[in-house]
Amino acid sequence: MVQFHEQIISELIEEPPNGSGLVILSSGLSLPKLISSLLLLHSPSQGSLLLLLSPASPHLKSQILHHHSPHARISDISAELPAQQRHSLYSSGSVFFITPRILIVDLLTSKIPASAIAGLVILTAHSLSDTSTEAFIVRIFRSLNRSAYVRAFSDKPHSMVSGFAKAERIMKCLGIRKLHLWPRFHVYVSQELEEEAPEVVDIRVPTTRHMVAIQKAILEVMDACLKEMRKTNKVDVEDLTVENGLFKSFDEIVRRQLDPIWHTLGKKTKQLVSDLKTLRKLLDYLVRFDAVTYLKYLDTLRVSESHRSVWIFAESSYKIFEFAKKRVYRFVASDGSKLNAPAKTSTSKKRKGKGAADGSEHEKVGSSTNVSIVLDEVLEEAPKWKVLREVLEEIEEERQKQALSREELVESEEDGSGIVLVACKDERSCVQLEECITNGPKKVMQEEWENYLLNKVQLRDLQTRYKRKPKQPKGFGILDGVIPVAPAQNAEPSSINKQEHEALVTAASEIKNRLKNDDVGVDPQPAASSQGGGRAKRNVTNKKETPANRKSHENKDNKSNKKAASDGSSLENKGKTDEVDPAAVGGFSEAKGHGASTDKVVLQRYAKVAEATGSGIASKPIPLVHFYALESGQPILDVLMPSVIIVYHPDMTFVREIEVHKAENPSKKLKVYFLFYDDSTEVQKFEASIRRENGAFESLIRQKSMMMIPVDQDGHCLGLNSSVEEQGTSSQNSVTRKAGGRRDVEKEMQVIVDMREFMSSLPNVLHQKGMRIIPVTLEVGDYILSPLICVERKSIQDLFMSFTSGRLYHQVEMMVRYYRIPVLLIEFSQDKSFSFQSAGDIGDDVTPNNIISKLSLLVLHFPRLRIIWSRSLHATAEIFASLKANQDEPDEAKAMRVGVPSEEGIIDDDVRAENYNTSAVEFLRRLPGVTDSNYRAIMDGCKSLAELALLPVERLTELMGGQKAARTLREFLDAKYPTLS
Amino acid sequence: SSPPSPAQNRNAILVSHRQKGNPLLKHIRNVKWVFADVVCDYLLGQSSSALYLSLRYHLLHPDYLYFRIRELQKNFKLRIVLCHVDVEDVLKPLLEVTKTALLHDCTLLCGWSLEECGRYLETIKVYENKPADIIQGQMDTDYLSRINHCLTAVRHVNKTDVVTLGTTFGSLSHIMDASMEDLARCPGIGERKVKRLHDTFHEPFKRVV
Repeated sequence: MVQFHEQIISELIEEPPNGSGLVILSSGLSLPKLISSLLLLHSPSQGSLLLLLSPASPHLKSQILHHHSPHARISDISAELPAQQRHSLYSSGSVFFITPRILIVDLLTSKIPASAIAGLVILTAHSLSDTSTEAFIVRIFRSLNRSAYVRAFSDKPHSMVSGFAKAERIMKCLGIRKLHLWPRFHVYVSQELEEEAPEVVDIRVPTTRHMVAIQKAILEVMDACLKEMRKTNKVDVEDLTVENGLFKSFDEIVRRQLDPIWHTLGKKTKQLVSDLKTLRKLLDYLVRFDAVTYLKYLDTLRVSESHRSVWIFAESSYKIFEFAKKRVYRFVASDGSKLNAPAKTSTSKKRKGKGAADGSEHEKVGSSTNVSIVLDEVLEEAPKWKVLREVLEEIEEERQKQALSREELVESEEDGSGIVLVACKDERSCVQLEECITNGPKKVMQEEWENYLLNKVQLRDLQTRYKRKPKQPKGFGILDGVIPVAPAQNAEPSSINKQEHEALVTAASEIKNRLKNDDVGVDPQPAASSQGGGRAKRNVTNKKETPANRKSHENKDNKSNKKAASDGSSLENKGKTDEVDPAAVGGFSEAKGHGASTDKVVLQRYAKVAEATGSGIASKPIPLVHFYALESGQPILDVLMPSVIIVYHPDMTFVREIEVHKAENPSKKLKVYFLFYDDSTEVQKFEASIRRENGAFESLIRQKSMMMIPVDQDGHCLGLNSSVEEQGTSSQNSVTRKAGGRRDVEKEMQVIVDMREFMSSLPNVLHQKGMRIIPVTLEVGDYILSPLICVERKSIQDLFMSFTSGRLYHQVEMMVRYYRIPVLLIEFSQDKSFSFQSAGDIGDDVTPNNIISKLSLLVLHFPRLRIIWSRSLHATAEIFASLKANQDEPDEAKAMRVGVPSEEGIIDDDVRAENYNTSAVEFLRRLPGVTDSNYRAIMDGCKSLAELALLPVERLTELMGGQKAARTLREFLDAKYPTLS
Repeated sequence: SSPPSPAQNRNAILVSHRQKGNPLLKHIRNVKWVFADVVCDYLLGQSSSALYLSLRYHLLHPDYLYFRIRELQKNFKLRIVLCHVDVEDVLKPLLEVTKTALLHDCTLLCGWSLEECGRYLETIKVYENKPADIIQGQMDTDYLSRINHCLTAVRHVNKTDVVTLGTTFGSLSHIMDASMEDLARCPGIGERKVKRLHDTFHEPFKRVV
């Protein structure tokens, strides 16, 4: 445990009256460890402790579990547990994870003995607001148990400053009066972390010419888009800089400004917003993906976006495509004879940039009609690959030197921690780097390339399908001037394009044939005519298959392969490494083999790497390497205890984690390498992310000094309730004198609410208004206001979606069937515009896709349907209250039975979403042949979609109750995604 | 102009003389309309009627809507209150209009501009006899839109991802059967999307055993 964690905890729990507080710390300062240390202080005699965690943050949960001591398990309270069991768990005095939705439902249905709860811990404080479920929970909880504590945590300071006085409002709604700030620059923190700082090596890797060019082009296009955006006069100009554009938060800035008027914006502005997002992704991927994958992604973008986007038509974006292509391949005129790559000389090259004036190597194209075009592979490797390799070799060299000097005496100690960890952003990069190390970058690129060619053919075909009508390019403003050069892709395929296409197709079909041969050929050494690269690979795999007698076998192979293998030079070293590495691996795996499951995975990887290294691609020995994806959020440092960390993709949070790890293990040696692309946005981004967090903390410190938190005599925070209460009753009285406010206990209003609705904030606001909320599972409707009134709530986004899916139609149909007054509530969001669209967006004709048309059609088909248009959550609550004024209270038991098919039997009050894989059900219902009447049967008959995908027609016929439907489905599932054939 | 024949009237919106001078009429362009003696403001079909109400007018005459609705009696199956939202502070007036409409069996439609209000009238007239299939979820039947429709049921999966998945795996059944690792190899599909896709396909429909 690091000392500043102790400090945080002691400050927190000593805070009067009961140790409630909001803690905000820098990201990477190991919130999970902090929480698990806090949990150690919990004793069952105090009562149960509930950890509130939304299902959206599984990493946090697994990490807390990891750090938590194994003999005091933390279990989940889930909806699957029967009510009685839940009750006994609540009073058991242990620690539990629970989702806000379950907790609020249990609180409302009085399934929780509130006095048996010692406190609540909220783990994602930054996502709260006064209408969120957590606030609702705390309000009810406080009313039942005054003495329990509420502790909230966040390690995302920048999202704590995203609104006006956000921290203060969150504290009020949680009834917390103390804010604890722990930035990285806090004295205690920085002292401790810098005392035993790890050794750091900063390596700047130069980018290739083409990468620089692409980056420049992307920034140019971004700049153009931003300029265009400024012209709309809808956004604050100050924030619109390219630097800001590099961050995800840029979208937030723009969206926050535009959201209130989003529906009044023109298509172009909206497109610009999404284009900027795409461009940012392209920048990011430029340093993350290899050249081929990058090109593939660009191609995919072009196919899926070309007829909508603005940016694709800008001059510079043409450069992006062009340079991305040059990193991978180029076309070369052949002189009739088949040529192999090395035979090229630069004089014979003819660059055919599509419609481009390519200055340097431009030659007359017209004359070459007879000469066919041949593909020349460039396959530029990512510069970091080579550097990574060198770093690894250097590490190993150093290590061997040390080993020699120390005469293998204290070897064992060093060995246990001799782990080299390479941290990348995503799993994909991990896999690729691993292959790079094992098989050499050439092979990786070759494989990606082959894949690419095969896909390319399919994409081309697809593109022609998408291109139904030759739409005019839609650039405008600045972006407009350049159209003549730009849309080469959309132009009719010229003869050159055709030739290029043919060249691609030929290359692809060659690969296809080769693959086929591989499948058919039983002989491990198939036709000798195939090309070098492919051969070498196959030999390697052969070797792997016979590890038992590898050594003897190998020597033989050595000779026979020397000619065939493309990089035969490396074979000399192979024997040696081969003998050393497996032994090391073996020893290691025995030592650690019985560890946790993560360890096992790690080990497997090791084994693979080491073995392959042995089998001959490596030119120099490299140490054991483990790859780690930052995305996966595993507590990797504490499991592996690496002695060298190579940060392949720099990331602020991970850097902090390394620091904390080092501070916890001050005696261990730790060396950290950073690989940055020089002069790239990668560096900028890293530095700016630190600046941004510091800025957030400074703002929080300022806010803290000016905070006003009302407190009652006992020192409890009064929170927001008091003010809301007054507001609520006064406005209510004017409309609904009869029902009275919340104080009138006998005439308390009741609303029956569907369990699923607790994802939204409306139940919270209704409760604030003084209504009693009764959560049940409803088959029909979301809110039952009275025996007559049933309401289906749709936010704007939901409304559009459920019109498209047809869900709304069926929901309304059900409501109309069972209730006298079926109501559709269209709920706009307070901070977004109160309208569907701008007047300018209403076209000249009645079109079926317009929301007006859909709504009109709904109204025509259900004349009894009533519609409520609500400006905001609070407006909805007011409307509900006024509608209920003269109505009877709804009947809970009856409402539950409505619309439940009788053969389903009893439905208990479990939350539906927890019982069903909702997205799978939705997916299923969208498949052709699946209807309202047969989807339940399908779900009964097979377990999952993956299983469904494998069922034969006969079985489907049984499940779907008809051969026609079954065949439709089967054919759809098996249909080949469009290809050239 | 000469009075229109009854046959023509069937295809036209009949507008009450009360609406004379309403600038809304300018925006009814896709359908014919004629003045006639009707009890509602706009007669949109045999049993469909509409009353027009501007919120600003409602603020001045809060009882107007109620009396107009009462006049309609029980003559129409579909009784629309077409509300033009032309004030800034909508909360109170809209609450009143909503309540009046709801408790007196009227369907409330809101438009934020005269164009929008006009379009509602046109659309309801044009769609008088149209089946509901465009809102019943039946959609384009070609393969690409169908597979798009299916895969985008999984949250955050977009069209670009569909193309990526399609070209990588070849068919929907292969996508549905794909392993985490294979999904993770698709460019542009991040870890969360991979998990979401994989969960959708491999988690059982019903979670309870």
